[in-house]
Amino acid sequence: MSSERKPSESIPLEIHDLTVAYQSKPVLYGIDVTIPPGKLIGIIGPNGAGKSTLIKSIMGLIPIEAGWIRLFGEPGKRHLKRVAYVPQRESVDWDFPVNVLDVVMMGRYGRLGLFRRPKAHDREVAWACLEKVRMTPYADRQIANLSGGQQQRVFLARALAQECDLYLMDEPFAGVDAATEASIIELLHALRADGKTILVVHHDLPTARNYFDMLMLLNMRLIDFGPTEAMFTYEKLQKTYGGRLTILSEVADAVRQNHES
Amino acid sequence: MNTLILPWDWHRVVIEPWSSGASVYGWILLMGFLINLTCGLIGNYLILRRMALIGDAISHSVLPGMAIAFLVAGAWQLPIATEGTPSPVPEGLPHGMAMVIGAGIAGIVTSLIIEWIHQKSRIKQDAAIGITFSTLFALGVVIISLYADKVDLDADCVLHGEIAFIPLEPFLTIGTHPIAPAPVVQMGVVAILTALGIGLFYKELLVSSFDPGLAHATGIRADWIHYGLMIWLSVVVVSAFESVGAILVIAMLILPGASASLLSQRLHIMLAWSSLHALLSSLIGLHLAIWWDTSIAGSMVVAGSGLFFLSWLISPSQGPLWRRLRRKPSTDTKAAATQPLSKTYS
Amino acid sequence: MNHRGLLKPLNNLWSLVLFWIGTWQARADRIGEMVDISLKDQFIRFASMEDPALRFALAGGVILGILCGMMGTFLVVRKLSLVGDTISHAVLPGVAAGFLWNMEKDPLAILIGATLAGLIGMVLVSQLTRHTRLKEDTALGMILAGFFGVGICLMGMIQRLPTGNKSGMDKFLFGQAAALGWEEIQIMALVGLIALSMIYLFYKELLVSSFDPSFARSIRIPVDWIHHGFMLLLAFAIVISLEAVGVVLVSAMLIIPAATAFLLSDRMHWMLLWACMVGVMAGVGGVFFSFLGQKLPTGPFMVLSAAVLFALALFFAPRHGMLARWWLRRSRTLRIQRENALKAVFHIMEKEAFTKEGVTVIALARSKGQTLKATEMTCRELERAGLATLSHEEKALYLTPDGMRRAQTIVRNHRLWERYLTDAANYAPDHVHDDAEEIEHILGEDTVRMLERQLNFVDRDPHGKPIPTIQDIASSGQAQASKGQGMSGYRNPS
Repeated sequence: MSSERKPSESIPLEIHDLTVAYQSKPVLYGIDVTIPPGKLIGIIGPNGAGKSTLIKSIMGLIPIEAGWIRLFGEPGKRHLKRVAYVPQRESVDWDFPVNVLDVVMMGRYGRLGLFRRPKAHDREVAWACLEKVRMTPYADRQIANLSGGQQQRVFLARALAQECDLYLMDEPFAGVDAATEASIIELLHALRADGKTILVVHHDLPTARNYFDMLMLLNMRLIDFGPTEAMFTYEKLQKTYGGRLTILSEVADAVRQNHES
Repeated sequence: MNTLILPWDWHRVVIEPWSSGASVYGWILLMGFLINLTCGLIGNYLILRRMALIGDAISHSVLPGMAIAFLVAGAWQLPIATEGTPSPVPEGLPHGMAMVIGAGIAGIVTSLIIEWIHQKSRIKQDAAIGITFSTLFALGVVIISLYADKVDLDADCVLHGEIAFIPLEPFLTIGTHPIAPAPVVQMGVVAILTALGIGLFYKELLVSSFDPGLAHATGIRADWIHYGLMIWLSVVVVSAFESVGAILVIAMLILPGASASLLSQRLHIMLAWSSLHALLSSLIGLHLAIWWDTSIAGSMVVAGSGLFFLSWLISPSQGPLWRRLRRKPSTDTKAAATQPLSKTYS
Repeated sequence: MNHRGLLKPLNNLWSLVLFWIGTWQARADRIGEMVDISLKDQFIRFASMEDPALRFALAGGVILGILCGMMGTFLVVRKLSLVGDTISHAVLPGVAAGFLWNMEKDPLAILIGATLAGLIGMVLVSQLTRHTRLKEDTALGMILAGFFGVGICLMGMIQRLPTGNKSGMDKFLFGQAAALGWEEIQIMALVGLIALSMIYLFYKELLVSSFDPSFARSIRIPVDWIHHGFMLLLAFAIVISLEAVGVVLVSAMLIIPAATAFLLSDRMHWMLLWACMVGVMAGVGGVFFSFLGQKLPTGPFMVLSAAVLFALALFFAPRHGMLARWWLRRSRTLRIQRENALKAVFHIMEKEAFTKEGVTVIALARSKGQTLKATEMTCRELERAGLATLSHEEKALYLTPDGMRRAQTIVRNHRLWERYLTDAANYAPDHVHDDAEEIEHILGEDTVRMLERQLNFVDRDPHGKPIPTIQDIASSGQAQASKGQGMSGYRNPS
């Protein structure tokens, strides 16, 4: 891969030699990856592998020690408004005095700029996004009065309302019920059909096999990145998960079954 | 501005207090040291348990406890010694004890109300603390204002105390030998008990501060320790109250421990550093106050802050001087990154 | 009884309480009759508002209430309550310095000095937390008391000066609204107006950065600038309120009205409104009460008025007050008790293959292991809820169609869940019962249907008992009871 390649606008995300540290301990180092557009990509790795850190550093929420990140061909924050970020659910105070529609409307604020009030069109978009996640009956509920899965769907609707081209999601499936999980996958497939690129930090190896087109194997370094089936080899997974034997044995079973079938 | 800061006069500031004024300043220094020491020792645990602002809360909310105690103690008519015979109970004592009890009760009540508000409603802990102590403090001020004649506390006392009056307090006597002013004796007893308590319960305090889960598993009653700390903190605060007031006592609680934490990460060494900080800030503060002719408690806090800044400068782990002395800055992440993983993440 | 039915009267009760408090002044003279003469005079003086000092004091109280209400709202939701406390103590050296500037009580100099001191204090706090291992609460406490100490020293030095007016400094400690003059009111009004317009202009930025700072950053909202701007405005608001409330109690006026509003609202703009209202009431109340005495400070009375309103909200707020929560919890417990009773009735009828229509109270008591009296109470509860009727001659309980439907639904939930746990989650059949006991009451309808689908519409639970289907439940109560045939059209186990 020549590093002289001209940065292309159509490549949503390009990362080169990225190193991120936290209190002088390295969390990610030497990450080199190019994300193709229009794919549903899972980021897989053990706990502490730096998956959330990667997402946050792409969003510019964490400072970078070395390397660079290009969004849609440009470094820095120039195209950041084409990127939507769905954080982990715990990072918010659920007693905050806002209802479901208020939260989704926040997704429109990025397009409004300072001193502007939301217009009728923004409300329509927000409402349409609520419909896509099937949360319209809950529109005026205060957000603490929702189940975990419903809360996750509200965050998704907010990301949809931003109308972006690249979606970064941090463990959207963590702790949700089966119905919500199904509707999230449905939504992600619809987004992909629209040509959007979606990166999802995911915690569950077996389902990762079914959900994603491509996988990024991460354990502080990039182990590998490519189509899902090609990533599911014993060596690659062992390199990613190190000494985590329990998960490994489950996955080893799955891999063996695959080879035997 | 000439007369604002009095000129440095070697004789006035340093010589005189220890020659002609030794009897007065000696007691002041001793009281200041005892207060700083006791607050500093218990303050270490407040900092470790991230309860610095609950300490702030308790120092404010003991006020109504004290005011009510004054009213109650005054309402009870205590037996007056007959003429000629020495009084078996020193005059200040019933009031002193009543205040300690009142403050202890106020401390517990504060702690309970904060928890109650926080757990039974959607109010978060920081707001619960703020609401509770400021309401109680306001209550205290109102009681003092309304019953100014019956309560021997005034606004100045509340805010910054007046340690200079300590030597004028009646002395405690054994037989006919005067020993020390009553507040000094009280503070001394509190100081000794604090040191004893920390010594006796060292393991329990350490474990419950650091890892409540482990405490529970090893049978240490973390909630008893918590409430015990709250009560003892109230006792310490009220003993120091007349000398330093409600707000400066917070500085004395936090500054020694914070300075010590910059100099060491081991608890018993931190306790030692806190004691040294207490001694130095009392001494330097006293002389600053003589020089500037201003509140002694305030000057001790200023001295303590200066010592904190000094601790930061010379701090081996977090200060600028040592960092510069080392060749390689410790924040070299690429160097750390090339080490084997098992070493970096132990 | 539906808990929602209780909320409406609570809402009305709350409005009534506020109205009563708000019209306090109008009834002041009637209360005055109950108090002795000098107080009554003061009341009349207050109500008639002839005293210009009083008018200024009231204006100050109102402006302060609005300002502290607005700023306090954001303090509380951003969880910065104790930052307000720190700033309010840290301004003391600035007040002293401002006084020293002109050797007199110049409000503008004091304002600038105090604001600077507050800002420097906050900068130091963030530097301390960033460059040392000290935690934020420790840093806040140090700056709070350290700066206060410097201020006390300065004040001590000022008192020695010939121009040092001690009583002027004292007012900054506990507040004396009666000392407010036209100049101070003007400055207060100006700062209040600035705060109001800032909050209006930057409302959505403040909202998003308070709710979810990472998200706000990701949509390019300048979170740090908003924070600094807010801190600056906060410092101004605190300094402005100093003279009326005093250094020590300003943070109370920031937090308590906003916390009261937090208990009363579920949306931000309502919280702002409530906070301002409570703030105004507290401000006016403080002025009122301090006016009754000769040298009473205003600050503590403002705080106590606010605290009373907070306590009222804590107990009686419609959704978040303790009374409402207790009621909700209680109705939920009652519902679960009812459902358990229905289930027990169903089990007894099932054992008899639905040949009998009623269940004797004795049989019910025996099956649940309860005393006769307790069971009778439960039966009466069921009757009250329209789920069953109690026949006194036979001492038996008969389910109504509603009751039957509800019983079948609960049993269905329970058995489906047991089946799911054994089939899909590999639980041992003897472990599933307790889990199902809890879950059966809270499964929602869509989850139950999904369970059914997932289990391929299985018709028996792990213990072999039949699982009622939706058709069973729907047709329940329509068929007549006859010999050997189920009362509900329920499939007889054959």
